[in-house]
Amino acid sequence: MTEQEIIDKTNQVFEESFEIERKRLVPDAQIFSDLGLDSLDIVDLIVALQNSFGVKIRNEEKVREIRTLQDIYHFIYAIKNGEGTSDT
Amino acid sequence: MSLKRAVITGLGVVSPFGNGVAALMAGIEQGRSAVRHMAGWEEYIGLQSLVGAPVDMQDEKRIPRQKRRSMGRMSIFAAQAADEALADAGITLADEDLWRVGCVVGSTMGSAKSINDAFEIMLPNKDLSHLNSTMFFQCMSHTAAVNMAQYLGLNGMIVAPAAACASSLHAIGTAYDLIRLGRQDVLLCGGAEELHPTVTGSFDILFATSTKYNDTPWKTPRPFDKDRDGLVCGEGSGILVLEEYERAVARNARIYAEVVGYSSTANGFHVSQSNRESIGVCMRQALGDAGLETQEIDYINAHATATLQGDQEEAEAIRDIFGASVPVSSLKGYIGHTLGASGAIELGATLKMMEQDVIYPTLNLETVSPDCDGVYHVLQQINRPVKAVMKSGFAFGGINAALICKKL
Repeated sequence: MTEQEIIDKTNQVFEESFEIERKRLVPDAQIFSDLGLDSLDIVDLIVALQNSFGVKIRNEEKVREIRTLQDIYHFIYAIKNGEGTSDT
Repeated sequence: MSLKRAVITGLGVVSPFGNGVAALMAGIEQGRSAVRHMAGWEEYIGLQSLVGAPVDMQDEKRIPRQKRRSMGRMSIFAAQAADEALADAGITLADEDLWRVGCVVGSTMGSAKSINDAFEIMLPNKDLSHLNSTMFFQCMSHTAAVNMAQYLGLNGMIVAPAAACASSLHAIGTAYDLIRLGRQDVLLCGGAEELHPTVTGSFDILFATSTKYNDTPWKTPRPFDKDRDGLVCGEGSGILVLEEYERAVARNARIYAEVVGYSSTANGFHVSQSNRESIGVCMRQALGDAGLETQEIDYINAHATATLQGDQEEAEAIRDIFGASVPVSSLKGYIGHTLGASGAIELGATLKMMEQDVIYPTLNLETVSPDCDGVYHVLQQINRPVKAVMKSGFAFGGINAALICKKL
């Protein structure tokens, strides 16, 4: 999976699940302060990313380190390219 | 300790006729039916009743996403009805002491669609990992009350009576007591419910639904009629603003009516059948609470869902107490049985009838069934002063409720 495909799919999750306009989805956007997500949204973000990318990430320690959209792109890229948790 | 008085100063409704009290009253005034053939319900094996009175949900995205995410359909209906009720009452919550403003909102259960969705997600592979964070908040029994309170930012009491089809009358009766006791100044009260094939199915397997009019849905339900064959489920929400009387007067609020009497009884003998005796005691106790004689009631808005047994027992109870002197009609023919929401939606319509001194007839009541005879059935619109009304509601579990409102 290419980096651009991961960016597009991740942004699609934010548009569809959290009703955030695409123009706000810039890589350095902070998930909490800039995009307005809260603790419940993070649960839904994990479910949506798992469904979208076919991965299991709920119990990944690195999930807790995510702060920006860029962090998510990198996190998913690492998993999809064999550098992290295996695909389901 | 002297009790305070409780008055109704605002009405809000989402009904199968659309959002708003005006849409509900227009549908009733024009004698329309909101009952439809429900496409897709044929897929449910064993479901005989393929009719319902659905709400065409509107403008739900006006509710902010983080408030809306924990709402199933019924909670969205309740929030929208609450907005209308507050505006109708002329209350701006930003100006209120929100610790003194609460809500009492009932329903049979949590969102039927959300419960169904949760099981469909979870059960096939016994896998919880696909459930989202707010599914439980949509499914829990007090979902409508909680979501309304969160949406509006209330800090007062949240109470959620679950009494099936009597839920919203229980809610209004409870709110009436809380206001009278001085525990709250303002309460948003009523009920909410949603239509789903599994909900209709719960009545269907008991032979309580209408099954003969799947191709002519506007002809059913038929309360008190000789050709009635059961209830038709609907959905929506009715929310009333109940307010302490002195406070309402002090702010020059428009007052629809005072709640003057309430009672609830249990029949103590059968989980699904109603009976005239316990209904009668409930009505007499409500009259006693109100300090009114039978001849002082100008209109009875009946529960009458068009089941064979329920309509008969209710008509007999009314006949025992009121004879044929008080006009009686049911609104189920227009909007179906909105279950836990029915008491509040139909009381809202009744209060508008009081305001306009008009009584609307029972839609689809063409020939009064002999077993429902002996009461004053309203077959055509009546224009006459309506100063005091009784609203009744009955529910699975042998629950009866009756509420009396009177113009000031």
